[in-house]
Amino acid sequence: MIVLEWLFLTISPCDAAEPWQLGFQDAATPMMQGIIDLHHDIFFFLILILVFVSRILVRALWHFHYQKNPIPQRIVHGTTIEILWTIFPSIILMFIAIPSFALLYSMDEVVVDPAITIKAIGHQWYWTYEYSDYNSSDEESLTFDSYMIPEDDLELGQLRLLEVDNRVVVPAKTHLRIIVTSADVLHSWAVPSLGVKCDAVPGRLNQISILVQREGVYYGQCSEICGTNHAFSIVVEAVPRKDYGSRVSNQLIPQTGEA
Amino acid sequence: MAEPQPEKTLTLSQQYALEKEDKVGVDTKPVEVKEVENTVNATSEEVVAERDEEPPAASPKESTEVPAPAAEESSDSAPSAVVGGESSEASADAAETSNETAAEENTENAENSSEQEAVEEEAPEVKLETAPADFRFPTTNQTRHCFTRYIEYHRCVAAKGEDAPECDKFQKYYRSLCPGEWVERWNEQRENGTFPGPL
Repeated sequence: MIVLEWLFLTISPCDAAEPWQLGFQDAATPMMQGIIDLHHDIFFFLILILVFVSRILVRALWHFHYQKNPIPQRIVHGTTIEILWTIFPSIILMFIAIPSFALLYSMDEVVVDPAITIKAIGHQWYWTYEYSDYNSSDEESLTFDSYMIPEDDLELGQLRLLEVDNRVVVPAKTHLRIIVTSADVLHSWAVPSLGVKCDAVPGRLNQISILVQREGVYYGQCSEICGTNHAFSIVVEAVPRKDYGSRVSNQLIPQTGEA
Repeated sequence: MAEPQPEKTLTLSQQYALEKEDKVGVDTKPVEVKEVENTVNATSEEVVAERDEEPPAASPKESTEVPAPAAEESSDSAPSAVVGGESSEASADAAETSNETAAEENTENAENSSEQEAVEEEAPEVKLETAPADFRFPTTNQTRHCFTRYIEYHRCVAAKGEDAPECDKFQKYYRSLCPGEWVERWNEQRENGTFPGPL
């Protein structure tokens, strides 16, 4: 029973990594949905090939056993079968390549103008997020650091090695532009549920477009080896649009009041 | 290679198009056009039936948009045309939502994009808008996008003076795109006269 639970329940739908997880996390963006669909598409062919090849293999081992069949066949040429086993795999490759390229190019396509821009700047070992669409000068902007909560400080229900002190709050059902860069070494901003993994390179701005389709809290980790505390975490919290507006203005007002 | 791309993006965008979002994307540009829009449509919007409401609202947007960017830069007109084309696609389903809101409110609020109402109720000063997608920088690498916007702003200021309102949008754009650290460094370099870009 426990084994069964391990096998099936661990593939439970969630927006964070789980122990013994085998499947994907739930899709929250069209991108991730596309990735999952492509995976399933390719898996169809994969199983087809697996069954076919194992059948040939087992059959060959069975029928051409050295005791059963001591004199080997001396066929060295067969035009028909050679044409077949050239054409057929290339057709299969086509069937895999077409959806794969379609997904690849649609993923880095900027479809529409985004509604907000968020800058994620990687540091050793925390992320700094900047919301500067609402700035009135170069200095003041809505900027905060997001540190992973150490294991000793975790509260009940918080996820180990995943929770952070300041989450990135984004509006759901809105086109987002995330600009990823780094201040020291290579990092990578990755959130599996959003289908996003973007390298953070110092001196370069990488853009990713996201459309979060449902409210939720999405967990990810740094995915480029960057030092001792590599895999410090990323938490994206998608809230309804109205809540986002009020949250941003609440955080902006004290800032502008100070300045 | 390029062939599956437009099909896929079209279907994806259609499939996941949110009536409001397209409005948001479109609304980033014609901010300065809105006054014109109001005066043109103020009378017609109160009277005209539901179906006819959106197309006239969309068409002046496109027509007035063309002269507006021509004032500053020519490259901006190309993106705006494309965006305008998208808006007309989206206007079909956007019309239905705006009909409902218009029916509920029944006010002469001329900018009847439902997105603005939602934001205005909560926080009048936060408007969801940012630098639009620039078709000079269609790739993942946006480093030059940020840099170009920064230079455009400072060239604009150099040409039109410190308080020129045309330059404000470039300022918003580079602030949205560039990390604060970079902007600070560039500002210092400009003060010292060591800024590497063409100003």
